[in-house]
Amino acid sequence: MLLQAPNPLNASPLIFPALECIHIIGFTLSVGTIALLDFRLLGLGLTRHPAAELAQDLAPWTLVGLAIMLLSGPAMFSSDPDMYYLNGAFQIKMVALLIAIVFNYTIHRKVAAQDASTGGAKVVACISLTLWTSIILCGIFIGFVGDAIPR
Amino acid sequence: MSVLSFAQWVQSTAFFTALRGSAYVYPIVLSTHMIAIALFGGMILLLDVRLLGWTMRSYTLSEMVNQLRPLKRIGFLLLITCGLLMAGCKAEEYYYNAFFRTKMTLLALVGVHALIFRRGVYRNTAALDGAPRIPAQAKLAASLSLILWTSLVIAGRGIGYIEPPLDKIHARLFAVPGAAAPAIASKAVPPDRRF
Repeated sequence: MLLQAPNPLNASPLIFPALECIHIIGFTLSVGTIALLDFRLLGLGLTRHPAAELAQDLAPWTLVGLAIMLLSGPAMFSSDPDMYYLNGAFQIKMVALLIAIVFNYTIHRKVAAQDASTGGAKVVACISLTLWTSIILCGIFIGFVGDAIPR
Repeated sequence: MSVLSFAQWVQSTAFFTALRGSAYVYPIVLSTHMIAIALFGGMILLLDVRLLGWTMRSYTLSEMVNQLRPLKRIGFLLLITCGLLMAGCKAEEYYYNAFFRTKMTLLALVGVHALIFRRGVYRNTAALDGAPRIPAQAKLAASLSLILWTSLVIAGRGIGYIEPPLDKIHARLFAVPGAAAPAIASKAVPPDRRF
């Protein structure tokens, strides 16, 4: 089925799993660094330096991770666009991703820069963690709902 | 009890039979495994690039290693728990799966890595903080860690892509010597192809 589409990415059965690995490494970098900042906001780790400093140090790594994610993701999408487009888990994932990215570069960034370990900052950290983990959850569920896998 | 018969027994228990058949629990376990990779793997990546001296130079190595240790332990525990749950579901199949075997070997190498570098690097951060430059041993530990964990991800993803021909293996195992191998209808179950 993969080989029928005239997409060069479907030329070899090895390309899709390779993209998956790149995607995993990409989101490990981005979500991993965002989560570290969230743990800092929650007071769980790397607490000896201000959150603003950690945010500044982590920002380039988060960005590189996001770039890897956002390049490998659409490439995987292109291997079977119809399936993804109609996939409920994929649709939720895209909405959550959009919200998470906007949230990360607006409220999340602002709270980290203000460096206040208030209750508000903790709520923001929890929202951030929830958003990013739900994106991973939806990503896995793409393969388990609808006609992605005829079981 | 051989490893194979142990795998067959694990897979046939009521618990793993139910887990294998569940429409939602299995993908949730897999998702949790992935989430643990993102959180725990992110910390390992960052610690490695810090050991290489590429980032967070204002944070001492002691601070990085000691403050991240409890979080890393929780992440690792989550990762292993989910991994074991999934491995139990298809234990017999994975016994023959080359990627699974590779992954287990890599995991053993992670343990060896920890044993080798524990004294010189991970439990020696106070001395490393005092050193004018990051010692080569620490950089070696970080580089090897990056290679090991990346390979683990790749081997892990590969597991879902190969299916050992269990029908043929069973036919051969249970065949009466001299008699023709029984014909077993091959049922093609597609691997976990997408996410």
